[in-house]
Amino acid sequence: MKISINWIKDFVDLSGIETEELIKRFNLATAEIEDVFYMGENTKNVVLARILEVNDHPQSDHLHILKVDDGSPESVQVVCGAPNVRVGMVTAFAQVGGMVSGHKIGKAKLVGVESYGMCCSESELEIGSDNSGIMDIVTDAKMGTPLHEIYPMNDVVFEIDNKSLTNRPDLWGHYGIAREFAAIFGRELKPLAVEDLNQYDSLDKLNIKVESKNCYRYSGITVENVTEKRSPMAMKIRLNYCGMRDINLLADMTNYLMLELGQPMHAFDHNIVKGITVIEPEKEVDMLTLEGEVHKIAPGSMVICDEDRTPVAIAGIKGGLKSGITDDTNSLLLESAVFDAVAIRKTVHKIGLATDASIRYEKSLDPETTPVAIARLVKILKEIDNGVKVSSALTDVYNFHYPKHEIKISYEFLNRRSGVELPQSKVDSILTALGFEIVTDGKELTVSVPSWRGTKDVSIKEDLVEEVLRMYGYDNIVPQSMSFNLMPVEQSKEHILEYKVKRLFAEKYGVSEVHSHIWNYADFNKSNGIEAESYVSLLDTSNSGQAGIRSKLVPTLLRFVNDNKNNFDDVRMCEIGRVVSGLNENNLAIENHILAIVLASTKKSEKDLYFELKAMLENVCESLVNTKVNYCDGDTSNYYHPVNSNVIKLSDGTVIGEMGVAHPQIKLNITPKHNLVCLELDFEKLCNAEVVKSQRNKVSKYQTVALDFTFVVPNNVNYATLEEIIASYKTKLTMEYSLKDIYENKEQMEDAKAYTFNFVIGAMDRTLEAKDIEKFSNNLIEHFKSNGINLKG
Amino acid sequence: MLQKIEETQKQFAQDVLAVTDQKSLEELRLKYMGKKGLVTMLMPLLKDVPNDQKREMGMKINAVKNEIESTLANLATELEQQKMNAEIANTEKIDITLPVDNGVGSLHPRTVIQKEVEDVLISMGFVVDMGNEVETEFNNFDAVNVPSTHPARDTQDTFWLSNGEVLKTHTSAGQNRILSKYKGTCKVIFPGRCFRNEALDAGHENTFFQMEGVIVDKNVSVANLIYFMKEMLSKVFKKEVEVRLRPGFFPFTEPSFEMDVKCPFCGGTGCSTCGGSGWIELCPCGMIHPNVLKMAGIDSNEYSGCAFGLGFDRLVMIKSGLNDIRALNSGNLKILKPFKLNI
Repeated sequence: MKISINWIKDFVDLSGIETEELIKRFNLATAEIEDVFYMGENTKNVVLARILEVNDHPQSDHLHILKVDDGSPESVQVVCGAPNVRVGMVTAFAQVGGMVSGHKIGKAKLVGVESYGMCCSESELEIGSDNSGIMDIVTDAKMGTPLHEIYPMNDVVFEIDNKSLTNRPDLWGHYGIAREFAAIFGRELKPLAVEDLNQYDSLDKLNIKVESKNCYRYSGITVENVTEKRSPMAMKIRLNYCGMRDINLLADMTNYLMLELGQPMHAFDHNIVKGITVIEPEKEVDMLTLEGEVHKIAPGSMVICDEDRTPVAIAGIKGGLKSGITDDTNSLLLESAVFDAVAIRKTVHKIGLATDASIRYEKSLDPETTPVAIARLVKILKEIDNGVKVSSALTDVYNFHYPKHEIKISYEFLNRRSGVELPQSKVDSILTALGFEIVTDGKELTVSVPSWRGTKDVSIKEDLVEEVLRMYGYDNIVPQSMSFNLMPVEQSKEHILEYKVKRLFAEKYGVSEVHSHIWNYADFNKSNGIEAESYVSLLDTSNSGQAGIRSKLVPTLLRFVNDNKNNFDDVRMCEIGRVVSGLNENNLAIENHILAIVLASTKKSEKDLYFELKAMLENVCESLVNTKVNYCDGDTSNYYHPVNSNVIKLSDGTVIGEMGVAHPQIKLNITPKHNLVCLELDFEKLCNAEVVKSQRNKVSKYQTVALDFTFVVPNNVNYATLEEIIASYKTKLTMEYSLKDIYENKEQMEDAKAYTFNFVIGAMDRTLEAKDIEKFSNNLIEHFKSNGINLKG
Repeated sequence: MLQKIEETQKQFAQDVLAVTDQKSLEELRLKYMGKKGLVTMLMPLLKDVPNDQKREMGMKINAVKNEIESTLANLATELEQQKMNAEIANTEKIDITLPVDNGVGSLHPRTVIQKEVEDVLISMGFVVDMGNEVETEFNNFDAVNVPSTHPARDTQDTFWLSNGEVLKTHTSAGQNRILSKYKGTCKVIFPGRCFRNEALDAGHENTFFQMEGVIVDKNVSVANLIYFMKEMLSKVFKKEVEVRLRPGFFPFTEPSFEMDVKCPFCGGTGCSTCGGSGWIELCPCGMIHPNVLKMAGIDSNEYSGCAFGLGFDRLVMIKSGLNDIRALNSGNLKILKPFKLNI
């Protein structure tokens, strides 16, 4: 929103304060100023000039050659294309060497004729919207008088960030902003000059009926005998500087009042609209607005109708075309109303039309302002057009009153909450300057919240802490350390591990951590044959492009593999992220914390990659979590290899995840040249797994013996089974054992391989004798045999 | 005999000159010191020497033997040295300036920032709490004092889910759970992913990381908040920073502030990072709204607290110079991998 400092100065004297200081203090005390415009500075040497002669241009059908008196001793020749030139007319003339809205004015030749300057329109000077011709000025001033001495063209305009005014309905007009400046700088806020409307009480009231509870207040009055059609230049300048176009006097007046008080107003042609009914239509109605567009207004929205229930405006948003002000209008029905903020917002969304009025209504405007705005408008209108007559009594339907807030707050609370010793007189003067009425007993204040702050912004004592402190100046608060207690702080194991795991993978395994979206990439999954279920979905997908929330993490990483496959021979990624794996009995999402890894390589075999994946997991288990996991056959997701994939279980049998080589078809679909393995597991379950310490080898001080045994192991027996066989061999002599070699020879051994184990045996209390060794060997061989595995002969 | 010894000596002196490498040295050693070597063969001759000369001749033979042995040893060392020198002279120079792959992967830049910030806060006694990404409407809105009619609840801003829950729109969604857990004095930070239903561009993501912190105690004041934020941000930026508060508005704090940091890159004179203003708007913060405390079962007359937020994505972009926020959720290793383990 744009704020004119000239306008502010109507209400508060800011003399002696630099613009920079105004900006800085306002920024820190009230709201963010995004931009500052120094209006009028890029227009120079534009003066009053009287047209002395008008001659047709010999080579042009629309240009004229003028002689003008710009106050210089000699008249000046200028070529002008405006249609409204006439002898005797006073206009705005930019002299050679001057500037018009940033454009330099020099000597020029127009279709062969020398021109020394430029006659300007309001639009060219950026002080009005009229571009139909050059300015036609009525003045007693001397020719050559600079235009900015005639009109208030020089101004400083602030652009305030609208977002920072969201909770301040009172700041959507200049008067409210002026109140802030007055409070910030300790200056007086001048009362608003208004017409005394009580004098019209004896006139007939208007017929105003309000049938919607969302219309809180509707005030109206009628005015007739309006003969002036154009707004005074000063008003046009303010409107244009604040970002609005001037249209005609009556339309401009309503806009001017909106910018001044933040109260949107509407002027109906009283010849067309005789009375008002505010309704919520039962059926959809078409509304042709002032802009000439038709909007369909659905039931539930508010429509302003005339006495015959003919729609004449979309309440709080836009007036209708047929009932609007035209240049012929001489009597009007003025609307000054307040509507429910949410109702207006909903209609704005429904019809897709936001206006300066609706933006203000959405902030919860103060209903107390509606008659004030009318009184102010009438006052200004009568000053501009002294023939104007008020033709009705102020008619006011006031159906919803906000509660009046009275807050009790002690000075001690203010000091305690702020951490500053605030002088009582300072507190009192700040609150008073902002319009709060206070009663103090020296310890406690009773504060009445003014109506313009009470619609939603200020209702509790904490709100008053803000009011006092922002005016006192946050910069004046001395930072203070907090007292502390000496309790040790315990951090969540899972959170600590999350970082450590990512760091381990990055440092040791060259893995890159990525973050993917929480939704499934449905098209990608579908085109690659990946089955990825969703238990919940987004209701609105216009920005995500996806609906289903993921229940697995690997598919989103597979998409990243796809995105990176052309740039890297090795794609190694991990993510610790969230999935929704189902809904609980209360229909709430079951959210899991998942670790996923994908390794893709053009060089490494699937087997090598799979073992690498296992090594990563084992490293996490051993060095970070202190547990063990098992790899079992079982059902895995459809993107895993039917043979080479496994279910990951904790030692107590809990399934925590799955891992495997990618399914050949999916690998082929995504990246034929990379081998691909993936893993995903429930990170929370892994972190909280039971501690399983790895067995430490025994060390004897007596001599030990190393023995090799080679067994013929059928291909359908895995290593874990061999480990179980060894574990079930009852002996005290095994100090350690290891797998030394796996030998494959298809001619010698069909469907089997030779596994050579190295056993180190010994005793803790003696050196073994030959018979001990022989007994150990024979029994071990016998034990394997009883499990169906023979020593290699 | 003496003559024989001297002849051997002389001959050795001759032969030694012909030694050029280890092979000829070995041949020379065998010729003199081998089993049938010239020196070895001198000893058996002693038996023919008269007894009174035996001792003298024996000593002479030993002297010759020692001399030859030491000459051979010296020669061997010398040849070794020569060989080494030749090898050194022929060594290929390793260009150690060639690039190597150190095998290190990368952490997501958000993780790096998160760790840095968390370390600072943990050192100040905070507990890290991890919230959910899917939250109930109550936790996300009602419990943090967002009115039922607030526009933030509209589908235009919030990702609503088919089961009536939402993807959390702010880390504040965790406030109620955390405050309810401690019921009073606490210092907790809760980092997490948040979601907004908005269109993507270089500056806007629908999925982003924030961190929020709360401090609750008896008599926490605005002065405490300023002190804490200044200290915390000084540690994060690793230099003393200047902060300022401006009025802000959030439903869950009262008063609410926007905290600006005097641009740590230009020192406040204005640069591209701060958009020329000299200040960076960094932390929304405020004093916890009494309704929020009440809803968590905390007596707002006894306790007060402050809360602050910090956008990790924004910090990542400020610290790394990354200019498109969408890269963070892209999985594009060309952008993410070069971050390595730092930022």
